[in-house]
Amino acid sequence: MFAPLAPITAPMTLFWEGKPLAARHGETVAACLLRAQISHNRLTPVSGAPRLPYCMIGNCFECLVEIDGVGNQQACLTLVQDGMHVSCQNGAASVPDVSSHD
Amino acid sequence: MTDAPHLHQPTSAAWDADVLIVGAGPSGMSAATTLAEGGCSVIVLDMQPTPGGQIFRNLEANSAHGKNGKNDRLLAALGTSYTAGLKLIQRFRAQPGIDYRPQTTVWEIRPDGTVGWLRGMEGGYLRAPHVILAHGAMERPTPFPGWTLPGVMTAGAVQTLLKAGNLKPEGNVVLAGSGPLLLLLAHQLRQLGAKPSLIARTDRLSNSVRAIRHLRMQALGPVAKGLGWLAGLKASKIPVVSAISQLEARGDTRVESVSFTAKGQHHTYPCDLLVVHDGIVPSIDLSHGAGLLLEWDTSSHSWQPQTDTQGRAATTSDAPCTIRITGDARRIGGAEVAIHHGRLAASAILAALGKTSSGLRKARAWYNNSLSARLFIDAAFPPGLSHALPDDKTIVCRCEELSAGALRQKIRSGCTNMDALRGETRCGMGPCQGRNCMITVARLIAEHEGHSNPPVPPAFRARPPLRPLPLGALANLTNLDPSATELLTLEDTPSHTDKGGHHAQA
Repeated sequence: MFAPLAPITAPMTLFWEGKPLAARHGETVAACLLRAQISHNRLTPVSGAPRLPYCMIGNCFECLVEIDGVGNQQACLTLVQDGMHVSCQNGAASVPDVSSHD
Repeated sequence: MTDAPHLHQPTSAAWDADVLIVGAGPSGMSAATTLAEGGCSVIVLDMQPTPGGQIFRNLEANSAHGKNGKNDRLLAALGTSYTAGLKLIQRFRAQPGIDYRPQTTVWEIRPDGTVGWLRGMEGGYLRAPHVILAHGAMERPTPFPGWTLPGVMTAGAVQTLLKAGNLKPEGNVVLAGSGPLLLLLAHQLRQLGAKPSLIARTDRLSNSVRAIRHLRMQALGPVAKGLGWLAGLKASKIPVVSAISQLEARGDTRVESVSFTAKGQHHTYPCDLLVVHDGIVPSIDLSHGAGLLLEWDTSSHSWQPQTDTQGRAATTSDAPCTIRITGDARRIGGAEVAIHHGRLAASAILAALGKTSSGLRKARAWYNNSLSARLFIDAAFPPGLSHALPDDKTIVCRCEELSAGALRQKIRSGCTNMDALRGETRCGMGPCQGRNCMITVARLIAEHEGHSNPPVPPAFRARPPLRPLPLGALANLTNLDPSATELLTLEDTPSHTDKGGHHAQA
């Protein structure tokens, strides 16, 4: 769906669902995930439907992800940081110790 | 920075600045620079990491990289309307007296000049005798079947990814809708070698013909530019279909194809990325959240805050309102109009403070002059994708996944009040807080009641926080209103002066 316009120099590492991704300094988490061609960044709380970013300017809240254990973060407003752990927002945000998925 | 002795009112808590500005786009930067040049202390709060707003997004970084050739191609593709913002950004950055706070969201605005802010896990309140809302516009929400599928995005989103993400779309890219931004994006993608496979326009030639009577001298430049884009698209053999309707995105877990009707024929095309656009509308979240009066604008099919020429907002109460609204957050005009209006609103504040009134007349003249191109654009690109209300199966509220059919059923059963409908269905209660469904819901109610336009004000009642506020930040808010915090300590409990001191337990 998206391809980089220029090669990434001096990449940082962002972990998506535990997998390392090369991240560009100054880019948002949403841009990094779209370049990595992920299929979805969240599953809706109502029907479990997959979603990807829609507006990219902080209005639609489709880009919600969990960042370093904190849920409901807007990926389009958050800049990547080296070593950041990002995971899919499955349904509503949960407390950190919920362990099982269905 | 906090030194503003001439403005202290005896009844008020200390002001944090002479003026608070929300938004560092064209109008916010222009207002801040004008005010600071006039001797005011200004705090500017903005959600993005760098100044420029959406139109000049990431312009500083892209221009700096341009020297080693890497981003020259991107800058060339984005064109002069993008690079023209650099001078304004540089003036904004260089001007002393501006306290610029990036990556800061605003979750509350009060007509008395109180602003609630959040940055990371830190939050608090700021106060000033004057507040300028310059938080811009959003793309008009356009519910159609399949618009929630991964792979459907707005034109603004794709532009943001070009400017700030260094990403270009690939595969079968279909652009659908109406408006200058859609054609501009098509032109930019073509320049970057990411040719769209199809452009499906809702507007038709008759719109442009009818718009010609609104053509003024000042609009000739933009019109010539637009015709240039169209000629370029034609030369590179990008298929363009006009007067489309019944747009639909199809796919299982992502968009796979797009279909629509044109000239009575049904068309289906393979699609990896469907880019939609239906013009832009003022972001009313903050103005509505502050309790300011809105009006329905029939020509642009959107709400806008009620303001006078100098941007002064109107409220229902008799108490003086210290809020002004400028730029596209006030009414859609584009970057140039926004820059002029930002200067006008700032000049009006300088005049009110008795600092200088010399700039006011000039600012008003520039603003009026810049407005005249807009009439043509509005007439040539009427709302298209959102023109007809969605069919029953289409999702209206993306957050709570409520279809138009479910909402119509509730409305028929008597929920014809926005807040009652929200309470009954959760429509507008999700994370976006109604930003993407409010206009459609109001129109569904108007449809039921036989009105062509929503009666005013059929908007969900807004309450702070207008954006997510983590509990940890809420518990540690700084600069609380002293009169409000006193109330918190009136609990009927023994005083604990030994531990915690002033700390409220609630």
